[in-house]
Amino acid sequence: MSEQVNNIATPLTRKQRKAADKLARKKNHVKGDKAYTIYLAKKALSSIVWPLFRFFILLGLCFVILYPLMYMISCAIRPQLQMSDPTVNWIPRSVIFTNFTDVIEIMEYWKALWTTLSVHCVSAVIQVGTTAITGYGFARFKFKGRGLLFGIVILSIIVPPQLILIPQFLQFRDFTFFGLTAPFGYSVSLYNTPWAMYVPALFANGIRSGLFILIFRQFFKGLPKELEDAAYLDGCGPLKTFIRVMVPNAGSAFLTVFLFSIVWYWNDTYTTTMFYSKGATVMMLVPQLSWKMTSVAERLPGSGGVALNYVVWIEAGALLAILPVLIMYIVLQKYFTEGIARSGLVG
Amino acid sequence: MKLKRRKISYERKKKLYGYGFITIWLIGAIFLFLIPMVQSLIFSFSDVKIQMATQEITQTFVGFKNYENMLTKDPNFVKNLTTVLGQMLMDTPLIMVFSLFIAVILNQKFRGRTMVRAIFFLPVIVATGPVIKVINGDMLSQGITTGAKFSTLFEVNFVENILEYMGIMNVSADFAEWLSTVTSDIFNLVWNCGIQILLFLAALQGIPVSAKEAAKMEGATAWEFFWKITLPYITPIILASLIYTVVDSFTQYDNAVMTQVQSLSQQASYGPASAASWVFFIIVALCLAIVMLIVNKFVYYEVD
Repeated sequence: MSEQVNNIATPLTRKQRKAADKLARKKNHVKGDKAYTIYLAKKALSSIVWPLFRFFILLGLCFVILYPLMYMISCAIRPQLQMSDPTVNWIPRSVIFTNFTDVIEIMEYWKALWTTLSVHCVSAVIQVGTTAITGYGFARFKFKGRGLLFGIVILSIIVPPQLILIPQFLQFRDFTFFGLTAPFGYSVSLYNTPWAMYVPALFANGIRSGLFILIFRQFFKGLPKELEDAAYLDGCGPLKTFIRVMVPNAGSAFLTVFLFSIVWYWNDTYTTTMFYSKGATVMMLVPQLSWKMTSVAERLPGSGGVALNYVVWIEAGALLAILPVLIMYIVLQKYFTEGIARSGLVG
Repeated sequence: MKLKRRKISYERKKKLYGYGFITIWLIGAIFLFLIPMVQSLIFSFSDVKIQMATQEITQTFVGFKNYENMLTKDPNFVKNLTTVLGQMLMDTPLIMVFSLFIAVILNQKFRGRTMVRAIFFLPVIVATGPVIKVINGDMLSQGITTGAKFSTLFEVNFVENILEYMGIMNVSADFAEWLSTVTSDIFNLVWNCGIQILLFLAALQGIPVSAKEAAKMEGATAWEFFWKITLPYITPIILASLIYTVVDSFTQYDNAVMTQVQSLSQQASYGPASAASWVFFIIVALCLAIVMLIVNKFVYYEVD
């Protein structure tokens, strides 16, 4: 355990610490000093025991996390027959990619991917922008009713989304541009159009937007005020200050929110089912995988009309569904995991 | 004098700009959040009918009838509610302790730390979508035999195999069962903790170096350091992540109440659906209030 304190408290490198230890030993160590020997033994023990303990905990838990993904990959690349082959457990005897091509073809994967990218990911990116503006407004400007309005932001975090989903749905069905065109009796139906996803994002009320506003607010509050004052003295208006001075400094907050926003939009099926059920997104395909693939499998020659081992398809489909976000995460994770302290998650 | 007036105008300008910055959100919040909320409150007290031909909505006020039906006559609602509540009560403390523990470990220096961190946040990416159901094997549970081999790690078989492998097979069946519950619990725990670990890690990194150095100088052990320095510093985040956990467990789309509300609204019975979600929301709010009241006493805010 003392190893841990050492690690936290001293910014010395391991080498430097060792040298310091040596020096201290030379100075203090008298032969036969019992207490000191015990101290040394204790220290040596804890510096071995704790890292070992830690290593095994982390190893085990990482295994728990990675196991399903590895299993997914292992299943997705094996021929169907090897699913019920008792000699094949982890490593398939032959690697094929037809499972992927089958799923892509039957589930119309590319179309779904395009829907997801053009509707959900666009909404997610729009939402990052609008919540950033709102968060900045709450962080830096004092105006009447700010506390109350921010209370609404908090409220929007804790209200379960299904509470407002029905009225929202009705509103989108007869969309009057927020009452602007209501006097003329004009309304459009946004239901089943991409706008049902875009509009909430455009007005900073998309999926979990309250949380993002909170993150941005906390982050912008932490930036030094002098930044803006300097910009103001140089003749920058607030909007220009925000875009030219604050945004470039908010990289880590933007990264965090961007990642979460994309992930939550990507994984959403609840809102999508309500507002945009026509658009089959990649995630909407996943629950359909089972019956769609079975019905195809039953028609395959040689299957005898019985679908067997279509697990390989489900695994391939699930893998395809998370693959884009997974790749994005792997690319961004280095910046993400090291930058969380500065991302406004903590006030 | 001139200078002073200028300054006031700058302040006033800033005020106006403040409104400017939040306008976009405010419009959205009024029309997409507040009005729908009021409307759903009205729905919950009325009998909502939709004319199929014209899609016209008619509401007649029925008082507390929807609530009464939901709470006393609906066979599933109360059951679902207690399930979700019980799940929340059981999971939350576990999630909190576990994620704090992991965060403390991930905050230490060791080789491969970046990679381990990346792995621990991986569930955040995967677990919020339907893919988690594939991982849990839910989609294959309907009488399909080939699915039995699937997601084998958390079946009793696998644990038994391990025990056998390690040569301690002849333990009682109870023990094997207990062990398999524990392993599947750990699975759920690890897969639900991503965000909380993230929050705690961010908080731990925010502990000032001066506090660490002072504690080191005074000769604090790691244990004392954790209880006397770490914990007080991160209490605000403990509160935040507690609130997040409670809200998240309530608003998970696959929980029983959420599913019921969804199916109700898809059957166009908006009145009962609204009533159900209001009951649910009030319970969420109550839980949060209780959590805040209890935890707020222990929260330590550093005064600058």
